[in-house]
Amino acid sequence: MIELYHVWKQYEKPQWALSDITLTVKTGEFCFITGPSGSGKSTLLKTIYREVLPTEGQIVIAGKNILRIPDHKIYLLRRNMGIVYQDFRLLFHRRVFDNVAVALQVLGSPRKDMKRKVFIALRMVNLHPRIWDYPSHLSYGEQQRLAIARAVVNNPRILLADEPTGNLDPKLAVEIIGLFKEINKQGTTVIICTHDKELIRQFGDRILFLHEGKLLRKDAA
Amino acid sequence: MIIYKARYFLRETVNNLWQYKTRHFFSLTIICLSFLIVGLFLSVSNNLRDRADDLSRNLVIVFYLEKNLPASEQDLIEQQVRQSPLVAEVRVVSPAQASEKFLQDFPGLKDILMNLQANPFPTAIEATLKDPRLSYEETLRFIAEMKKNAGVEDVQFNRDWAEKIQSLGRLARAVGFFLGGILVLASFIIISNVIKLNVFARKSEIEILRLVGGTNTFIRIPFLLEGLILGIAGSLISLLLLLVIIKLFPVYLGSSLGALQELISFRYLTLSQIVSLIAGGGFVGFLGSLSSLARFLKI
Repeated sequence: MIELYHVWKQYEKPQWALSDITLTVKTGEFCFITGPSGSGKSTLLKTIYREVLPTEGQIVIAGKNILRIPDHKIYLLRRNMGIVYQDFRLLFHRRVFDNVAVALQVLGSPRKDMKRKVFIALRMVNLHPRIWDYPSHLSYGEQQRLAIARAVVNNPRILLADEPTGNLDPKLAVEIIGLFKEINKQGTTVIICTHDKELIRQFGDRILFLHEGKLLRKDAA
Repeated sequence: MIIYKARYFLRETVNNLWQYKTRHFFSLTIICLSFLIVGLFLSVSNNLRDRADDLSRNLVIVFYLEKNLPASEQDLIEQQVRQSPLVAEVRVVSPAQASEKFLQDFPGLKDILMNLQANPFPTAIEATLKDPRLSYEETLRFIAEMKKNAGVEDVQFNRDWAEKIQSLGRLARAVGFFLGGILVLASFIIISNVIKLNVFARKSEIEILRLVGGTNTFIRIPFLLEGLILGIAGSLISLLLLLVIIKLFPVYLGSSLGALQELISFRYLTLSQIVSLIAGGGFVGFLGSLSSLARFLKI
């Protein structure tokens, strides 16, 4: 369960990126965060995986206040999360395989096991034929799918995705969200930031609407 | 799991060393030169120390007698030397024996000796002392007593030489450590900066590792290994170069320096010195890397 209590975030005065956000995402929930650009969607996600510290408020994940976790222990939180970044954050001098394997390498997975899991993750996003290519040889959409493969490769308990379908054609976008839905069915909590109304209409179990850092609606679609 | 991580670290380190090979080559050269300087001076110092030890082990007083000294007086002086409680052994070296030894030691100077009308060497009485640890003052008193004898022209006591050579050895070692120390410090700064550049070059990668759950140690180990490998490799290469220099130096010099060559020739380092230099290289590399990470990789 992810719980946010009165979370505020200010990067620069006087604007608030997040204003008094209080919400709960239950374990196994499939949830969209939507809103216009600059509404605080990405900041909200970043506070959940603690890349950004809120100015005020508390964030509790699986019963633990993540703001009290010391910096050197933050890896324990992130190992339970899969994150798809808006800017992909790929290793361009490493092959597709290595880009996905990096999430398993930090856990010290055996090579054989790693190869199997990486292949499964790449097959999920239909990128397995490009396993030995470099990301720079992939299209924008393929790079995005690679970022997704890296996020799901170690079966995370929480999957956070920041605009995961932003550069995909509508058909592939539906496929990717369908994939997230499949992962969600296995018990993974999924939070997706997007402003793709069609996807929200099609898949939205629960929609959180942000506007100028404020949570306007937290009900079902 | 440890083995898989170790393999990962090793692979990462080798990849990184190869990826930034130019800057690594540069830092390796500096480390190598630094340790070569230390090694060279240590080697000369070892040689001087050994020479001084040889001399100390065979403390000999040589009494050079007046030329054309009657045999009876020569015997009297010899008796006087033999009776001294300090002396263990006495050997009389005739001018002919001295000349022969000179030709053996300095074959290049044969012509000069041959051109002389007469044998220039006087008769000498070599007195080997009983114990090298004998009191210096007592020995000097004995020498002074012998000098009063009219037949004794000059006295040579090699303890002075032993001490001078020993001092020279200490000086060589001190100079080596001073120059080497400065260069080792330079190596430390260079390694630190090279690792800093590597950290900056791989900033995005470090960021990704952090975000997928990499621990601080996991992220830092490849950088620390880079420094360690550079340090150890640098000192190993310097030891190899030192060996080459030791082998080639006598060939380059030939026999032109005669006895002096003995003093300035190189002796290879002792095992403990070799181990210390390798460990020192590793330590400098590791520390350089660590200092850089402490400043530029705050996770």
